[in-house]
Amino acid sequence: MIRISSTRVDGTIKVNSLTRRFGTLTALHPTTFEIGPGGITALLGPNGSGKSTLLRCMVGLVRPDAGSASIDGEPLIGDGTAVRKHCTFAPGEINVYKELRGSQHLAWLLRGREREALAAGTRLADSLGLSLKARVRTYSHGMKRQLLFCAAMAPRVAVRILDEPSEGLDPSKRGAILDIVERDAAGGTTILLSSHHLGEVDRSSSRMLFLHAGRLVKSENSASVRAKAARILRLDYGAALEVPERAAAICADLVALGAKSAVARGRHAIVELDVADPRPLLALLGTNSDLPRPEGIEYGQLSLAELYRDIYGVEAV
Amino acid sequence: MHTGVRSLLLRALAFALVLETLLVPAILFWPKFRENIDSLRGLMPFKAARDMLDQFGQAGAAGYVCGQQFFKACNTLGTTAAVLFAAGAIAGEAHRGTLELWLSRPISRRRLLLERWAGGALAVVIPVFLTSSSIPWLLSFVDEKLSLGAMLLCAAHQSALLLAIYSATFFFSTLGSNPLSIGFGMLLFSIFQFAIYLIEKVTHYSLFRLADIPRFITICETGRLDWQVVAPLLLTSALFVSASMIAFERRVP
Repeated sequence: MIRISSTRVDGTIKVNSLTRRFGTLTALHPTTFEIGPGGITALLGPNGSGKSTLLRCMVGLVRPDAGSASIDGEPLIGDGTAVRKHCTFAPGEINVYKELRGSQHLAWLLRGREREALAAGTRLADSLGLSLKARVRTYSHGMKRQLLFCAAMAPRVAVRILDEPSEGLDPSKRGAILDIVERDAAGGTTILLSSHHLGEVDRSSSRMLFLHAGRLVKSENSASVRAKAARILRLDYGAALEVPERAAAICADLVALGAKSAVARGRHAIVELDVADPRPLLALLGTNSDLPRPEGIEYGQLSLAELYRDIYGVEAV
Repeated sequence: MHTGVRSLLLRALAFALVLETLLVPAILFWPKFRENIDSLRGLMPFKAARDMLDQFGQAGAAGYVCGQQFFKACNTLGTTAAVLFAAGAIAGEAHRGTLELWLSRPISRRRLLLERWAGGALAVVIPVFLTSSSIPWLLSFVDEKLSLGAMLLCAAHQSALLLAIYSATFFFSTLGSNPLSIGFGMLLFSIFQFAIYLIEKVTHYSLFRLADIPRFITICETGRLDWQVVAPLLLTSALFVSASMIAFERRVP
């Protein structure tokens, strides 16, 4: 049975200058952030950016070289057992004990949790259609992922840390898992999830932390993304942008009209505005006969994929 | 039943069955063996083996039984069991990638390590005690007598050596990720130690000098543990367990 001191429960995750080196490689540069209580925060970054190292450090699986962290008010000390009593952690790697049955494995995963957690995990598995009677060796990759997910969602804790919880799942299961995570967060649980899948992050997260080469390079929330989106105008010029010279000329004209910057991506010219109002530029566009007529205009839209591309300079999936 | 406990019980049962399977025919063969000790002595190609037969002849059933159960079965199969049970204890988790999952529950590393160590240690030691305690009963079939107390003392002495080997292997398992190489390495070391026991000039460097027939005969005769051997062996085990805990505390999954 876990005992949680009521004075310590605050549902937050606080990370202060957490650092981890492996030999000469600094896997995690001093990283500081605070999230919660409540809400879903996504941890994003390409492979090798330090997401898993950060999560492992936070729950004591990897000892940080410097810095501090606390989860739900419990400071990270020693091997992190106290911290792990205040949160659940679903590892990103899904190596499991194949000789066990699903129910046995779930019970094994929930050792050290409150007694009701097993029943809750079993119910969750049922709702996902995961058979707990079968041996884990017969499970597909996605089924193993669901088993770990059920174990992470079953205990009554204020914080859940999920390392790529939907990796390897089909779209329907991915949606079901996101629904469960969103319901849990709506109930006040603080959820930190790492993901490569921008679609699900876009849908569920109120805040996004971007890691790159072991550094926290950006922290965005819904408001900051909206503010950025309010300065983005997307003009669809169709085939006109397919010729590089023509695309460059169009972008140069847009900057000359007062845009802060303009880049061609596919059939779109992505225009960054100085102010959160597209009307002055659109008015000038209407009177300019040198530029082709846009086939479409989008304003106030900034997909996470674009944010990701801005930060990392690569196309995200 | 918890699967971990069931696995340990199965291992212990298998080890006990192997020991008992060797012990029963060995004891039933004793009368015939006693009659032919002199002839057998003549067939032995090296001195260590002849000395062993002499010890059987002088100490009678006690020497023979201690030779069969402890020096032969426990020192060889017991060492093998100790190495096999310990080699995969932690390295096995790392090898199959389950170390992170194992550590991610809200259970302290110290507790996980000690539980794992104790489970394997019991699986090594309990069969030695169980099979040794059957010796007085088995000897009654060949009209010989040995006290249960003496056999349990011998089992305790033997267990101390096996625990030291188990704990050393466990320590390497805490550091490594390849149970096969750890197991092979320790088994090769044990074979080497057994081999030098049989070579007259270097026999005193063998680990198995600590658990050979004269020592067990002395325990049977005095009815006391040889603490000069047992205490350092237990201390060695404790040191290896402590070192394992220190190494495991910082181990990256």
